[in-house]
Amino acid sequence: MATRNLGGFLVLILAIAICEAASVFQPISDSHRSAGSELFTANDGSFGSLEEAYEALRSFEILGIDKKSDIRTATCQSVVDKLGSSSSAPKDLFYALKVNSILKCKVNDKIFEGIAARLKAIANTASSLLDFYHSIGSLVLIKDQSSEVDVLLADAGGIFHSIKSLSQSDGRWRFSSDNPESSTYAAGLALEALSGVVSLASSEIDQSKIGTLKSDILKLFDSVEKYDDGAMYFDEKVVDLRERQSPLSTTASVVRGLTAFAAVTSGNIKVPGDKILGLAKFFLGIGIPGNAKDFFNQVDSLASLESNKVAIPLILSLPATVLSLTKKDRLQVKVNTVLGSSAPPLTVKLVRALSSGSKVASTIESQELKFDRESESHFLDVPKSVDVGNYIFVFEVVLHDSEDEKVYATGGSTQVQIFVTGVIKIENAEIVVLDSDVGSIETQKKLDLAGENSLALSANHLQKLRLSFQLTTPFGNAFKPHQVFLKLRHETKVEHIFVVGKSGKKFEIILDFLGLVEKFYYLSGSYDIQLTVGDAVMENSFFRAIGYIDLDLPEAPEKASRPPTPAIDPYSKYGPKAEISHIFRVPEKRPSQELSLIFLGLVFLPLIGFLVGLLRLGVNLKNFPTSALPATFGILFHVGIAAVLLLYVLFWLKLDLFTTLKWVGLLGVFLLFVGHRILSHQASTSAKLKSA
Amino acid sequence: MLKLLSVLTFLTLTLPFLTHSFSPDHPTDRRILVLLDDLALKSSHSLFFKSLQSRGFELDFKLADDPKISLQRYGLYSYDALILFSPSVDRFGGSIDLAAILDFVDSGHDLIIAADTNASDLIRQIAVECGVDFDEDPAAVVIDHTSYAVSDTEGDHTVIASDDFIKSDVILGSKKIEAPVLFQGIGHTVNSENSLVLKVLSASPSAYSANPKSKLSNPPSLTGSAISLVSVVQARNNARVLISGSLSLFSNRFFRSKVQKAGSPKKHEKSANEQFLTELSKWVFHERGHLKAVNVRHHKVGEADEPAIYRINDDLEYSVEIYEWHGKSWEPYVADDVQVQFYMMSPYVLKTLSTDQKGSYFTAFKVPDVYGVFQFKVEYQRLGYTSLSLSKQIPVRPFRHNEYERFIPAAYPYYGAAFSMMAGFFIFTVVHLYSK
Repeated sequence: MATRNLGGFLVLILAIAICEAASVFQPISDSHRSAGSELFTANDGSFGSLEEAYEALRSFEILGIDKKSDIRTATCQSVVDKLGSSSSAPKDLFYALKVNSILKCKVNDKIFEGIAARLKAIANTASSLLDFYHSIGSLVLIKDQSSEVDVLLADAGGIFHSIKSLSQSDGRWRFSSDNPESSTYAAGLALEALSGVVSLASSEIDQSKIGTLKSDILKLFDSVEKYDDGAMYFDEKVVDLRERQSPLSTTASVVRGLTAFAAVTSGNIKVPGDKILGLAKFFLGIGIPGNAKDFFNQVDSLASLESNKVAIPLILSLPATVLSLTKKDRLQVKVNTVLGSSAPPLTVKLVRALSSGSKVASTIESQELKFDRESESHFLDVPKSVDVGNYIFVFEVVLHDSEDEKVYATGGSTQVQIFVTGVIKIENAEIVVLDSDVGSIETQKKLDLAGENSLALSANHLQKLRLSFQLTTPFGNAFKPHQVFLKLRHETKVEHIFVVGKSGKKFEIILDFLGLVEKFYYLSGSYDIQLTVGDAVMENSFFRAIGYIDLDLPEAPEKASRPPTPAIDPYSKYGPKAEISHIFRVPEKRPSQELSLIFLGLVFLPLIGFLVGLLRLGVNLKNFPTSALPATFGILFHVGIAAVLLLYVLFWLKLDLFTTLKWVGLLGVFLLFVGHRILSHQASTSAKLKSA
Repeated sequence: MLKLLSVLTFLTLTLPFLTHSFSPDHPTDRRILVLLDDLALKSSHSLFFKSLQSRGFELDFKLADDPKISLQRYGLYSYDALILFSPSVDRFGGSIDLAAILDFVDSGHDLIIAADTNASDLIRQIAVECGVDFDEDPAAVVIDHTSYAVSDTEGDHTVIASDDFIKSDVILGSKKIEAPVLFQGIGHTVNSENSLVLKVLSASPSAYSANPKSKLSNPPSLTGSAISLVSVVQARNNARVLISGSLSLFSNRFFRSKVQKAGSPKKHEKSANEQFLTELSKWVFHERGHLKAVNVRHHKVGEADEPAIYRINDDLEYSVEIYEWHGKSWEPYVADDVQVQFYMMSPYVLKTLSTDQKGSYFTAFKVPDVYGVFQFKVEYQRLGYTSLSLSKQIPVRPFRHNEYERFIPAAYPYYGAAFSMMAGFFIFTVVHLYSK
């Protein structure tokens, strides 16, 4: 189940990847060549392995890129090393010989003899398919490279049989006898190995064995998978194998095996020509692979198909499928082999052309295309009866020589989608504001849709807007494009799109604003009018602002839906914010300093009054004690009071409460003592005075 | 000896890995999982993959339904980013599903999604979760009859040559993209209420999304420049997501293709797809536009140490250094719009920082005369850059009792009154005691 699903989506994806070509397959071209030389890049003249070197050299050889000299020295050195070493595995020898077949390095015949003997021993005793493949493949290569060496297999029939014993009833092969899983990829390798055995056989292989093999090949081709566009490919049935071999390498392996086998056997292999053509389409449909291995597989398989004995596929391709009536483009068809070389003499026939709208009626009679020797293309002037539109042209390739029909596969008829484009005439465009109930015309403006317009209309919700125009093809037929949109765009970027329908010959839309007020969210104001008319075959598709209409719509009721919030502009959203600075509290208002100083002066007036009063009273200090000790106490007492007052001043200026209290405490005790002495002295003096 | 050897091998194998993997100090992704519908994409889209590999990314290609794939092992993510080139996959293999991918992004990893016509519901759902809605009609593609790519073989105008790029050097690189980008696929809209999604490549005003094979009777749901062809999302955790409606956008065929936009006489030798996607992937994989802020400092004017508390009306200086990641190293970030806020419930001060053009940003301001617990906040969000969100808490106290003004001229009469009283008292004591 999982396998089927996987297969299903593989097909789907490849179909998507391929559908760009839309059944027009182009043969290998220059872009392949430039991509090829980009893809295979040697690090300072050598490749990572001989296998990579062979893939690069073979691709260069097929594409005609001359790069051999750059890599020759380093690669030849490793070829000679590999061939000279007695411990090289058959796989390494195989690729070394393959490289050598292209580079023609100087290798001693003695070395070949030694290798041939070893390989024959391996071929005789091998049990796994890969061993057969590499050893026999190497022997074939030695045979081509050196005529002196004896590479013929004495027991060709036996080897043939042991390879054949790995085959399965459905045409696929197993890699070795103890591995039960059969693989399509292996079938390709086996066919290649078997064809090697046939060519190396010292005596003829039994024809009946070859006959069964041919029927195996036909069975294998029964499992070929197919895309909608005619491309065919082989894929592994087993998921585990599929991860190792992509459809491309599997198909390439089968193609190599098939063409190698067809080359060494006489008589036909009855693989249908369209299957071969399908395989060729598969390889061409891939485009330019971006990976060296895939690129090699594609190019090498196409080269095998190019000169195979089963059927050589001929690819019908169109350089252009978009034909312009204004430019009077001619229909050009090329028929080439897959690598782009010229085909045998043939005629291309346009059998019928179906308009994509009507699948039945053919617009053109069967016509032959004219061959132009210089460009090797077949040309046809677009017939008069073909108007702009989208057509499916059906081509047929007829080979002139009936002998060629056995050699080449043309695939019968080929369907190609053709777009015939032209300039569409726009006429009778007008825009009208109508009064709703009576239909009388309020304003009517002609439009020139080919040029600029800047209409200024106004309407209210009781009126209607009518836009109408006519489209005709260059041949005077009515034309219906895919895209005919009228867009009304309010100032707040709310957009409304209407499809302009076709009524009779005219395109006409009537906007009844009464029915649209709700859709317009009751938004009055200016609406930009934009008209878009476009189609794939219309060369003058346009998107044009016609002008604006000022709509006067009623007030929105409470329940009306709100217009959608417009999208936030990303550029403005991320800008810096406006700066904020804190506003500090204003300090309280204070009187001016002068005023304070004046009041300061006033405050001292009572003191001055007090002092003046004292002087007027005639104060004296006659009571001050005369004897020394009380006088000292008296002075100390007043100094103490002055100190306390000074402490208060200091407290005001700088001292804190605790220091002040400490000093006040000390001074207090002192004052208590001296105060008590002086006061008791004063009291006793006054008591004496009273008593005296 | 053997032990030593194994330790050495372990070190040589893991060291480069450790030094190059994703970390806050080295924010570029390294290991990328690429999920494909078909391994043939590896070769048909090889130029894109090669450009990633040449920049040092390790790509791990897997089929999307491979039963062995998983994003995490033992709770740790094995990949830094995910590329979904599997538009038609209905269900991923292994342990990956919608929730796993969302968790992957939620934990700060990056994602590239390429959809295509017939995109599966799963891919659409992932896109919806990222704030992007693909056209619901499965057969719809973006068609543009006025800005298509002129081609001899493709006549249906679904290959669009678009040059309506987002204007952001950080997302698309500083080099101007001259040629149009080729696009063939489905359109999407970005949710207008989602501020994290950005349209990177928009369709022209004449574009619409519809099935080219059927006639239109109703207006298509997506039209004009509201159609986004390629969008990016930068989540709040700085995970970045690229969403494209076209898989062929990444293909070798479009990378190499010549372009001529309809109606324009200029023929470009090469489409801009390669430049566009290379630059965009640099952004998505955090080779660009990733900011970090270090050395956030503040102190009173004239002091060097950071105080534990500020008093109202203090003058302070604030500085921060901002660096941008350039793929290999942190370079000073130069801008003139970095702003700091002094914030308590709402910004009290919002000031643009001055810069020395070498990555250092600084300013000075007076602490407001409001006390409480404030924050220094830098909320730096710019188009395409990762957002910086710095906040540092600092309390602000009022004046202490002895910090008020001491000798106020307006109070001189009071002072005078007290002192005259004291002087009078002193004289009175003397007079009272000794006068006869």
